[in-house]
Amino acid sequence: MDELPSEVDLLIIGTGFIESIISAAASRIGKSVLHLDPNDYYGNQWGSFNLQALLDYNPDPSEPCDFRNKSFSLKNFHYEWLMEDQKEDLLKNSRKFNIDLTPKLHYCRGDFVQLLITSNIARYSEFRSVTRILTWLNGQLELVPCSRSDVFASQKVSVVEKRVLMKLLTSLDDILDSENTHNFKKFLESRKLSDNLVTYVMAMAGATEHTSLGEGVKSVKRFLDSLGRFGKTPYLFSMYGSGEIAQAFCRLSAVFGGIYALNQQNLISLDSEDNRITSLTTTKQQIRAQNYVTSLEQCSEKFLRPVKINNYISRAILITNKSILPSEQEQLSFLIYPEGTERIINVFELGSLTGTCPKNYYLVHLTSKQVTTPQEDFKGALGNLFSGSDQPQIIFSCYFSIPETSDLDFENVPENLFLCPGPDNDLDYNSSIQKAREIFEKMYPDLEFLPRAPDPEEIIIGD
Amino acid sequence: MDEDILTTLKILIIGESGVGKSSLLLRFTDDNFDPEQTLTIGVDFKTKKLSVDGNNVKLAIWDTAGQERFRTLTPSYYRDAQGAILVFDVSSYSTFAKLETWLNELDTYSTKNNIVKMIVGNKIDVDNREVTREQAMAFARRHQTLYIEASAKTKHGVQSAFEELVHKIIQTPGLWESYNSDNIHVNGNKNHADQSGCASYCSLT
Repeated sequence: MDELPSEVDLLIIGTGFIESIISAAASRIGKSVLHLDPNDYYGNQWGSFNLQALLDYNPDPSEPCDFRNKSFSLKNFHYEWLMEDQKEDLLKNSRKFNIDLTPKLHYCRGDFVQLLITSNIARYSEFRSVTRILTWLNGQLELVPCSRSDVFASQKVSVVEKRVLMKLLTSLDDILDSENTHNFKKFLESRKLSDNLVTYVMAMAGATEHTSLGEGVKSVKRFLDSLGRFGKTPYLFSMYGSGEIAQAFCRLSAVFGGIYALNQQNLISLDSEDNRITSLTTTKQQIRAQNYVTSLEQCSEKFLRPVKINNYISRAILITNKSILPSEQEQLSFLIYPEGTERIINVFELGSLTGTCPKNYYLVHLTSKQVTTPQEDFKGALGNLFSGSDQPQIIFSCYFSIPETSDLDFENVPENLFLCPGPDNDLDYNSSIQKAREIFEKMYPDLEFLPRAPDPEEIIIGD
Repeated sequence: MDEDILTTLKILIIGESGVGKSSLLLRFTDDNFDPEQTLTIGVDFKTKKLSVDGNNVKLAIWDTAGQERFRTLTPSYYRDAQGAILVFDVSSYSTFAKLETWLNELDTYSTKNNIVKMIVGNKIDVDNREVTREQAMAFARRHQTLYIEASAKTKHGVQSAFEELVHKIIQTPGLWESYNSDNIHVNGNKNHADQSGCASYCSLT
């Protein structure tokens, strides 16, 4: 096999979302990029796995090395078959699964969709729109009306309420200046909205009882702004799973000359001198670069001090045998499940049309801020959604915790080393895109971040 | 999409580095050959309309973008491809020996189990041939793939390779008809919201 280049402009270790965007952006402006990953798959904690690969996933390989920082790996990884008799059939269909470690939604008019369009990366990706938004109210699932016509068609909202709601939604801009209360829920209640309506608007904002008025209004606006572009709700989901997205950026990087090598088990160390990284040493060679980008999980402990992880994200992945709210056509559901007063559990229920699971099954992703353990954090919700005789049954479940690293700061990081945090607890990629852009701009100030890539038809060969 | 186009097919070109994958592609789509060409920058996939057996089809032919060098083609590269062209260099036995690995790779990642495979022996214009036509044909027969010899340099065999592949794809029932038009491609111009009744699948282009 070929040898890796010994000198490049930018060396990247890790193929997570943020690293992959930076890779594409640097290749795109003509920088030579070498993009390595110790794993034999793309995406790291942002990756997607087939069922067998998920079962084989080992967040803590026994051999520690300089490029496997255990502080940042997934914790509490555990899976279980609840219906053993279905195991064989599911494993036979293993490759029909694309199971995300970190599933995300995209706002139809959000930064991510905008970036896909302006950079022309859109051609690599297909999406499905979330077809309905649900919430949990008074012990049952409720459909959240998403559009003006939904609101007016809803039997659960009275005519007077409809007027109050429309007025409220059209005057969001003026609210912040004129209000006395700083709490979003209290504000909604003060507007004489019924419990139903308050719950719907809270769901649109993904708000808890502690959400501030400012945050709540901002989130509702974001929700409303993304309505009416694709499909019935403001959200898109990536066909074949969120892991496709990092791959699309890697593909763009490769198209513009980025060199890729996965399964790099022979990396030895990043060497530093005078607060700068000088080279990467592997068992075979030394590679020099001007700048270095690594994911936290694949960065040596010596550059990451202090490590103090305060927060984790609780995750659960379920395979079930029917939808939580069956309907004639297959639905792609986003359930905003308020758990207690401080926490929202985001639940995505994906059917076979998303290309993430086989027919007649559903893949359910639960994500929430971690309070105790993933099992405990989701116990109540799972009890409510999956225990009755007419409710779906859980065939398989998998739990783990993702360290929340997006807000960590480290001291004395070498000046040409840029660190990419892992996934955050946001619904979408906005903050992660922001982070990638920041790192790009630090390395290449004044250069354009992901300008539009030409279409194949626009490239004239031979001139 | 043009109305007279029967379907759009996704075709992959795979094989070892330096066997002439990009050259074959560019010869076919642009009728161009650059002997100095080393790495193709900026070429992602090329499209070309082709008429086979009276059917007009549009081909989207995906280059590897160099990701074959260290076996790092992404699973999404293989996704939904109806045809694959496996290229080796007839003047390099090792590139022929690696075809087995590439066939395995296809089996692992291709999402259509009846994907049509064609082996192309490229560079038949050179003198020092290391793989005979008979050897290659026997290999192709054993793996139930099509085989054709070609030279991107002299044009020989290039057009017929693509035509034969497309011919076989069109004849394969269930391989190309079932495109899910419900998916969403996002792009700056079109507004898909009107079709919301059915448009739950989208792409942003």
